[in-house]
Amino acid sequence: MMRFVPLVALACALAAPLFIRSDSTFAIVTFGLLLASLAVSFNLIFGFTGQLSFFHAASFGVAAYITAILVSDYRWNFWLAIGPALATVAMLALVVGAICFRFKLREFYFAVVTMAFSEMIRLVVVNWNSVTNGTLGMTVTAQPTLWSPSGPVALSGARVWYYVALAVLVVTYVVCQRVLASWIGRCFAAIRLNEQLGETLGVNVFLYKLLSFVIGSVLAGLVGCFYGFYTGFIEPQYLSITQSLDIISMVLLGGVSSLFGPVIGGLVLTALPHVIDLTAELRIILYGAILIFVILVMPRGIFGLFERPHHAV
Amino acid sequence: MLFEARGLTKRFGGLTAVSDVSFGIDEGEIIGIFGPNGSGKTTTLSLIAGMLAPTAGDLVWQGQGIVGRRPFEIAEMGIVKTFQNPQLFPELTVLDHMRIASHLGFKRALGARRLFTLVWPWAAADIESGADAKMKDMLHLCRLTEARNEKAAALSYGAEKMLGVAMAMMCDPKLLLLDEPASGLGQEEIVNLEAVLRDLRAHGVTLCIIDHKVGFLGRLADRSIALAHGAMIAQGATRDVLASDAVVEAYLGRKHA
Repeated sequence: MMRFVPLVALACALAAPLFIRSDSTFAIVTFGLLLASLAVSFNLIFGFTGQLSFFHAASFGVAAYITAILVSDYRWNFWLAIGPALATVAMLALVVGAICFRFKLREFYFAVVTMAFSEMIRLVVVNWNSVTNGTLGMTVTAQPTLWSPSGPVALSGARVWYYVALAVLVVTYVVCQRVLASWIGRCFAAIRLNEQLGETLGVNVFLYKLLSFVIGSVLAGLVGCFYGFYTGFIEPQYLSITQSLDIISMVLLGGVSSLFGPVIGGLVLTALPHVIDLTAELRIILYGAILIFVILVMPRGIFGLFERPHHAV
Repeated sequence: MLFEARGLTKRFGGLTAVSDVSFGIDEGEIIGIFGPNGSGKTTTLSLIAGMLAPTAGDLVWQGQGIVGRRPFEIAEMGIVKTFQNPQLFPELTVLDHMRIASHLGFKRALGARRLFTLVWPWAAADIESGADAKMKDMLHLCRLTEARNEKAAALSYGAEKMLGVAMAMMCDPKLLLLDEPASGLGQEEIVNLEAVLRDLRAHGVTLCIIDHKVGFLGRLADRSIALAHGAMIAQGATRDVLASDAVVEAYLGRKHA
């Protein structure tokens, strides 16, 4: 039964614009879809391989900066700029991951060291004024275009961006789903549940941890490429630890033990502040209280309530 | 000769756990390693499986030195070890365990072509169904067919140990290293285990079993090695080893010898 949930959800999402009237609702849902993609890719590393990475915001931010700089300053085509952006993220993840996993860093040690690398990259972005415009951030005015039979379509307008965000989520989801359904997912499960046993059964623990980290980070980069062009603005805040913590909250809220849980988490956490109709201070208190409540009462997340208590292998 | 240990030595600081041990294992035999607690049996197995690095000595597998290889490489070469205290994936079912253990067969069958199955999963359909059949066989062999949908956490101790053996068998080992498979089992379970191990041998697997219980291994092993304080004190046909003065002394003390 649960396997059809994503398909039904996709059908609803495709039809949703017929019923959405206001641009602000479109904006909330579009942000929600992009952040949900980040959460899904993060859960590949965290929920499925058991590694608490704080590098996710860095991957996301670096890709956002590179595409924006290549398109705005060097007049690259947006779609071509995605290549070098993702390649850079892959290289960074490969180096950071190789260092952490070679030294067999686990749990909090892994979290702290990835956090340090992430901060290092953020500080480079903040201080490299000539390229990144430092703390002021960059305005992204260019609009990517998409080929269509009736001529190029500019990626602009609430409706178009809604579908772009949905496409990013679908790509992220399908890539993760394919990986997890294969032998790679089995190796990830072995690492998450009992690394030593996995190793004696022939699992190359180092390689598969690295693979999970690189795939997850590159997918986060993919979201970053689009995110900057949607918001029209890029700032070092994208690479902050707060951003990583937001992603973790989404995954915990939605449910760590499934691919679909983080989608719910991403959408709910993005919409929540806008749905609570109170003054700013009260709103943030209620937001925090809801998050804490859900995590305490539903350790398996919102989606965990509906799902059979079983991890797919 | 399938496997050979030459002058195997392992020191932990000032403690010599294994001292200059040499022996060989031929294809298709069941070899027993006896010794009282602390005699270096488990250390010897961990050295062979690559989980510890020897201080000195050589390990030769099918004519090739394997010292310095990582445990997963050694498993891939065909030497698989089970644990004395069963190591499992607690929240998964028995079948899930078997699926995880099947990845190595998948790797051997497809190699880099596995990447293609990411976009076209049907390309591996026949290999998957072969693995399913093998899982069924191994569960049957290890008397786990009825427990296949149980979670590992719900299994009895004996069944947990059997699952360890079944998973190891999914890796298609040529040499299976069993660390005290009979410890903690009831009499009935030991009889069952003996039958399983004989079946494994009939499947062409070479077994190296360590145990401190003389009776169980005495019935099973073709050839044996006895260790005491890390050194080898006897080797040869199991009956002779068990009757040798050195072994009797190591177990019972000089007065009784």
